[in-house]
Amino acid sequence: MHIGSVDESAVLGRSWLHRASPNAKLIALALMIGAVVVTWNVLVALALALMLMTAVTTANLKPRLAYGLAAYPAIFALVFALSSAPNALSGTVIVLKAVVAALAAVIVVLTTPYPQIFAPIQRITPGVVGDALLMTYRSTFILLEKFANLMRAVKLRSGLTAGHPIRAMRATTRALGGLLLYSFDLAQRDYDVMRLRGYQGHLRIGRQPRLSPRTDTALVTGCLSALATSVLWRFEAFALNPYSWIVPLVPLAALLTASALRWRNQ
Amino acid sequence: MSHIHIPDGVLPFWLWGSGWLLALMLVWVAARLSERSDVRRKVPLLGVVSALMLVAMSTEVVPIAYHINLTVIAGALLGPVLSVIAAFIVQVVLAMLGHGGVTVIGLNTLIVGGEMIVGWALFRGHVRILGKRHVRPADAIATVLALALSTSALVGIVWLGGSAATGRETGSLDPDTLRFENPFSEGAVSIGLFSGGEEHHPEADEGDAHADNLNVKRFATVVYTLGPLGWLLEAFVTASVLGYVARVRPVLVFEGALTDTRHSIPGDETGGR
Repeated sequence: MHIGSVDESAVLGRSWLHRASPNAKLIALALMIGAVVVTWNVLVALALALMLMTAVTTANLKPRLAYGLAAYPAIFALVFALSSAPNALSGTVIVLKAVVAALAAVIVVLTTPYPQIFAPIQRITPGVVGDALLMTYRSTFILLEKFANLMRAVKLRSGLTAGHPIRAMRATTRALGGLLLYSFDLAQRDYDVMRLRGYQGHLRIGRQPRLSPRTDTALVTGCLSALATSVLWRFEAFALNPYSWIVPLVPLAALLTASALRWRNQ
Repeated sequence: MSHIHIPDGVLPFWLWGSGWLLALMLVWVAARLSERSDVRRKVPLLGVVSALMLVAMSTEVVPIAYHINLTVIAGALLGPVLSVIAAFIVQVVLAMLGHGGVTVIGLNTLIVGGEMIVGWALFRGHVRILGKRHVRPADAIATVLALALSTSALVGIVWLGGSAATGRETGSLDPDTLRFENPFSEGAVSIGLFSGGEEHHPEADEGDAHADNLNVKRFATVVYTLGPLGWLLEAFVTASVLGYVARVRPVLVFEGALTDTRHSIPGDETGGR
């Protein structure tokens, strides 16, 4: 997980998606997931993927980061598809569903600072859950960095190479043990800070103002149309399936145009 | 297995919806119970333990599609109530990073939470039976059993979602209906994509309904073949880590992470209660 790069993209980005309000992006995510849940048509699923790829391109997100994160669940989905799908087409749809849903979530995370993502969740969950969610995200950065440093130190001191997997594993578990102890010290330090600052069971997050209502509307409308297409092709499958090939053409044209514009600007 | 890597939209709505409902109820009860005392201590603790699980999950063993989870360690340190909350938090963050499906957050919370609670109970029981000197075998056995149980729960969920009893209409899944056809002139462009482009008869679908369901038997075979390798790997890692911590800081392992060893700051003796 490249959490450091994720946060950098979310905070420092200046694209149209970065300007969209977190609430609009979360609604758009819910609509896209709805579209993924409903569809079983491989071409509609492909169209959803192309639509999200267009969003990645137009928002100037790092392709390697976005697609790398979205491809991660594909490995597990592939195992699931190979082991349980009744035929190759179902297997392809299962993998596509995993990638599309992941890419939709990844785009939100890459364009929204995490406190703004968790703020709506914090408002509807009990205080301890919402606050712990924020503390988790913050601690993950610290622990990932610490773990990388510990692993580097272990490798340098014990001269680990790829040819010694048992030794490497032992060293890794020792580093994880050290990380565990460090994490409890970190929790204790956070606890002391929270006591001194008078924490009373609720961390407050300021709401981000709506920077571009038009962008919000366009974003939600686009995702709503994706959901509508998905629903239509699911429930009118017998009538519409012969024309499924048309669905991916629109996002494909948009993706090609966006890619050409990005290439020209670079 | 620890948590389901099943994509969104594969399981039926009633199943993942029930998972969400049950998980939210459990999380709400756990949150109310944990908020009764010393909430300021629990928030950072939950944060670091959940983060620790996330860090462990970021390293994947590709050939067997497995990653370390540290769920049993987290369960042993947090106890049953906070384990449910930690499981929910981890699943929310993982889903937002594209690691797991959003719709299966509820089911994943139940599986991971259950794994943590079972791991905690078995570890405590084994330490009582084997003694404090045998932390490693106690933890290894607890880990293997907890993971075997959660894997069985995973297979059970797939069975519920894909068995003939819950078979569902998948409409456009049928390859026979996928053809290149021009909507403006009937059949002007008609090329078979996955078949010869033959006419599709809806009534023929009725007979295929059961064939389109997920193959649970094959899935269980694959999971129970690859799973034990992951269980052993996880048992080795968690036993080593917990053995190391038990040697360096035994209080943490035998009495839990919430053991009260702090000093009261003058004027704040209540500690946030």
